[in-house]
Amino acid sequence: MPSWSDFQPFIVSGLALGGVYALSGVGLVVLYRATGVLYLAFGAVGAMGAYIAWQVQQQPGGWPGWLSWIICIAFGGLVALGYGVIFGPALAGRGPLIQAVATLGLTLVLFGAIDLLWPTSAGQSRSLTFPTDGSGFTVGQVQVNWTQVIALGLGVVITIGTGAFLRFSKLGTAMRAMANDREITGTLGVPVRRVEAAAWFGCGILSGLAGLILADLSALDDTTLVFTVVISSLAAALIGRLRSIAVTFVAALVIGLVHDLITPITQIVNYQDMTPFVLAAIALLVVSRGQVTSRSREEG
Amino acid sequence: MARATGPAPGRSSIIRAAVIVIGVLLAIFALPPLMNGYYTDTMTQVAIYSIVTLGLGLLVGRVGLYSLGQVAVLTIGAWAGARLLFATSQPYLLVLLEAGLATMVIGTLITLPALRLRGLYLALITLMLAGAVTVVLATINFPNGGGGFSGYNGSFLHIPQIRRPSLAGTDPAYYRYCVIIAIVMFLVVFAHLRSRPGRAWAAIRQSEPAALAAGINTTFYKLWALALASFVTGVAGALLAGADRELFSIDFPIQNSIELLAVVLMGGVFSLWGAVVAAFLLEFLPALLQDWGVPNDWLIIIFGVGVLQVLVTAPRGLADQFPKDMRRLGRLIWRLGHRPAATPAVAGASGEPGNPAGPAPSTTEAARRD
Repeated sequence: MPSWSDFQPFIVSGLALGGVYALSGVGLVVLYRATGVLYLAFGAVGAMGAYIAWQVQQQPGGWPGWLSWIICIAFGGLVALGYGVIFGPALAGRGPLIQAVATLGLTLVLFGAIDLLWPTSAGQSRSLTFPTDGSGFTVGQVQVNWTQVIALGLGVVITIGTGAFLRFSKLGTAMRAMANDREITGTLGVPVRRVEAAAWFGCGILSGLAGLILADLSALDDTTLVFTVVISSLAAALIGRLRSIAVTFVAALVIGLVHDLITPITQIVNYQDMTPFVLAAIALLVVSRGQVTSRSREEG
Repeated sequence: MARATGPAPGRSSIIRAAVIVIGVLLAIFALPPLMNGYYTDTMTQVAIYSIVTLGLGLLVGRVGLYSLGQVAVLTIGAWAGARLLFATSQPYLLVLLEAGLATMVIGTLITLPALRLRGLYLALITLMLAGAVTVVLATINFPNGGGGFSGYNGSFLHIPQIRRPSLAGTDPAYYRYCVIIAIVMFLVVFAHLRSRPGRAWAAIRQSEPAALAAGINTTFYKLWALALASFVTGVAGALLAGADRELFSIDFPIQNSIELLAVVLMGGVFSLWGAVVAAFLLEFLPALLQDWGVPNDWLIIIFGVGVLQVLVTAPRGLADQFPKDMRRLGRLIWRLGHRPAATPAVAGASGEPGNPAGPAPSTTEAARRD
């Protein structure tokens, strides 16, 4: 069994990963509550944004880093907005399952496009780095870099900010109303389409952000970015029952932490990627107890 | 399709049966001599994957269970089949049966707790399970002639190939073998659809509370559907072991499950033909594109667009949509061709199948009605 000091660095990296999962999970929950769509293309859009950012940085003119980051985040927002505007109304009323499966269509399109535009067989390894990777500080004997601080900090800020936005702003109140009952909300004069578009754009921004940070923290690799992110943050969102952003936030941190803390334990390190599945499966089965035939509104 | 043939079992169903028999005979006898090795392999994969799409189509179309982990179930079957083929000298058919049963037990057991979940949550938990199986498989690997439970031999030298049935050792013979097994699986599922479970599934799909109220044990029949789908998928996995002869965990990435669901939705989940169409989309089309030198990624993009198109405009899939479109096109051409000379009497007397109602004005009506 590894000693305590072996685990320490992984607390930091786990929390950083958890921060990204948290902001992704919060994005998924808010969009699901506001529009009824579970955005499974979240990871794919972020991945493509990260690849575009990498491409921008490779330009001979020496484009500044901040521009590539903005492009990545804007890409996420625009794709989500476009998808939401085109397919949101077309699939509205078909039930959450069909709407979620439809976003898998977008996932496949982006996944294919990434592989087509940035083939893996080219032999080159791509990486996306931030200037904050190199500098940092030490806590005890553990080195902490600023990117990790930013990742966790963004997770915290976005969770609190989203909570405050939903509670206090007019648009947030409209989203909460739509989560409760779309028909009545529309009847009361809330511009449903516009509120939905705002939710799509916000979630898309978060997907771009998540893709960007994760490409740095983890790797610029399509399978990782497309599936690991979406599955981990989805697991967190599911533990929050696709409802509570506070629970989602905590669950995301736990998933990130458990995933990384397994790293020094050689006996089970190969299974560390199962963390989100296992935690989400347990949570789903525990929370779903006793509602075998009940029809909750969001599933109706 | 079952619904279409239900009310009128007459000449059309006989014709349909005849078409199926002729198609099957062509696939078994006429096709192998015409194909080179590349396309023989491809068609073997099509036959095997038609069983997989059959299982997933059953879950999606009949019971409304959207499984995102069907490739994981397939790998369980392939693993069990490969392990048994290395460990024993049992007849191949027995191994197929055992692999199917093992997959049925495992597939049902791991989804059993998920059965209390419905709709979206069930789909998501199958995605989680698929990810988990992928991770486990990457660690224990497929059997390749080693010892112990996993049967994995760490060295990369002298990897023995997975054996094939004695009467189907060559590629064309194994292709025929796979086609015949696939037909048997289709018949098994068809028999289910035409009997009590099929009716129960239809009721569950329409409305679970209503099915429950009608005295249908919904949990039992859902479990039955899952078990049947897992069984046929397990048999397909064992067939795949013999077809590929060497199995690697990296050949079954998690996106394959999503592509599988995509083609099944595109093919159409309400008809058994949809499973065949889906298998061609999934296995034949990539081989064709590779033959033409087109990157496979285009196909993934097309599948993505296809899913969106199917969900938005044609929820019954290609197997239903394509004949309808063809009929519409045929009617259009017929109408264009007859327009100059068209009088009501001529059009009515021609007895065109697309125009059963008689006089010419109804042609446009029939077109509009569709």
